[in-house]
Amino acid sequence: MKKFAEGIGHGVIDSIAKLGYFARLFVLTLRQSGTAFARLRLTIAQIHFIGNYSLIIIVVSGLFVGFVLGLQGYNTLQRYGSEQALGLLVALSLVRELGPVVTALLFAGRAGTSITAEIGLMKAGEQLTAMEMMAVSPVARVLAPRFWAGVVSMPLLAAMFSAVGIFGGYVVGVVMIGVDEGAFWSQMQNGMDWMDDVGNGVIKSIVFGIAVTFISVFEGYDSQPTPEGVSRATTRTVVSSSLAVLALDFILTALMFTNG
Amino acid sequence: MLMSDSSTPAEQPFVAMQGVSFAYPTLTGAPGRQILSGVDLNVKRGQLVALMGGSGSGKTTILRLLGGQVAPQAGRVTIDGQNVHALKQRELFALRRRMGMLFQFGALFTDMSVFDNVAFPLQEHTDLPQPAIRDLVLMKLNAVGLRGAHALMPSEISGGMARRVALARAIALDPQLIMYDEPFAGLDPISLSITANLIRSLGAALNAASIIVTHDVAESLQIVDYVYFLAEGKIVAQGTPDEIRASTMPYVQQFVAGAPDGPVRFHYPAPEYAADLGLAK
Repeated sequence: MKKFAEGIGHGVIDSIAKLGYFARLFVLTLRQSGTAFARLRLTIAQIHFIGNYSLIIIVVSGLFVGFVLGLQGYNTLQRYGSEQALGLLVALSLVRELGPVVTALLFAGRAGTSITAEIGLMKAGEQLTAMEMMAVSPVARVLAPRFWAGVVSMPLLAAMFSAVGIFGGYVVGVVMIGVDEGAFWSQMQNGMDWMDDVGNGVIKSIVFGIAVTFISVFEGYDSQPTPEGVSRATTRTVVSSSLAVLALDFILTALMFTNG
Repeated sequence: MLMSDSSTPAEQPFVAMQGVSFAYPTLTGAPGRQILSGVDLNVKRGQLVALMGGSGSGKTTILRLLGGQVAPQAGRVTIDGQNVHALKQRELFALRRRMGMLFQFGALFTDMSVFDNVAFPLQEHTDLPQPAIRDLVLMKLNAVGLRGAHALMPSEISGGMARRVALARAIALDPQLIMYDEPFAGLDPISLSITANLIRSLGAALNAASIIVTHDVAESLQIVDYVYFLAEGKIVAQGTPDEIRASTMPYVQQFVAGAPDGPVRFHYPAPEYAADLGLAK
């Protein structure tokens, strides 16, 4: 019984300590971000690695999500004779919700895991210690460029996802089913608000970018420097990032789209 | 001079440890198993000092303390008169620019070529133009015999070659203190001999204080100026290579001769073997 209580106590203390370390490292990363901006090539290289290499999975997923939205949307809307609003439904679903959220989840699986594994393996190979011994801060040189690359890449990837998804909805709705093309685009153009819909979607994807990328770099930096430790850290990245994205999405949606 | 009373150097030591005790903290923050107890150690500029002792005796921890990666619970570590553990981050980084460290497994950056690895400290800490950096890098790589391998990636070279690249990187900024963690492990005899001579000549050329953590007694005694023997976190013997060779201390004799029997235990403390196998009556 005593051991059980001690175990719970240790767990709570460890969790609080980890949360504190997470917050301190986040502040430290922001404070040491000068290098990431002063030597832009470091950040651009990471944008290429993180963003560009995630494009295929984002584009393909966006296309299929658009196909499904086109089909499901048409089936539902035609019951009410509103199939002309298919374009609006597809665009609103993607820009407000699915674009930022699904992109963030895919990003966590594709880029987040690779960031965590890379930093974790650098730690296991004493590369981060070597860097510190060479008087170079790993936070400034390794963590900050990856963090900002993720923050920049996420809204761009989400925009790609939404654009390709809308194209997918168009292919299914207009080309295959025969919804009127003019209605498809004009309803979308009239029904969407630049700030409320597009702007909030962009804000969401920036927040998700901050959350997912920082969780990824943190888990790598905090991992045990062993193969098992890196493997566990990679798993934690996917689980924590996914939960954080879904929780943040609910909070942001409540703040952005609740009337009154 | 062979026993634990430390020498009083004629000139101010560049590196000094006085009464240093260290234990890695546990999860609760309390000190864990004692790694070092009351260690005194001095290294002068131009001197090459070896730290020897069995596995787990605290040799690598001494290098971590000198680099300011961990802080002692008691005692003082000074480098060039500066208390390493009283320095602020910026001051510590300024001090580290005057240090070079060769890690046990090289610790090369795996996403950079051999050339970029050696160029890394130069690019981070100097404003030298690229042609000058290129020349310096090729000179350092030439010193370790790997100029021709400059375009290769770390995954394309052997472990021994990686160690030599790491050595070139460690001396890129012409440090005043060079620390070598097991520099001879895994090297073929030719590379080992060349590396040993290189370590000797580098220290002399740079007038650097050099500390070498090693198990390679025979090779080390040929090149070092002074030896500290560690056992269970304490310095149990020290002296010049000749004094070490002539030592009658059982610990030193066992280590130098590589004898299986002696004060250094091969087995980790355990219950009786027969009892563990269930054969005890």
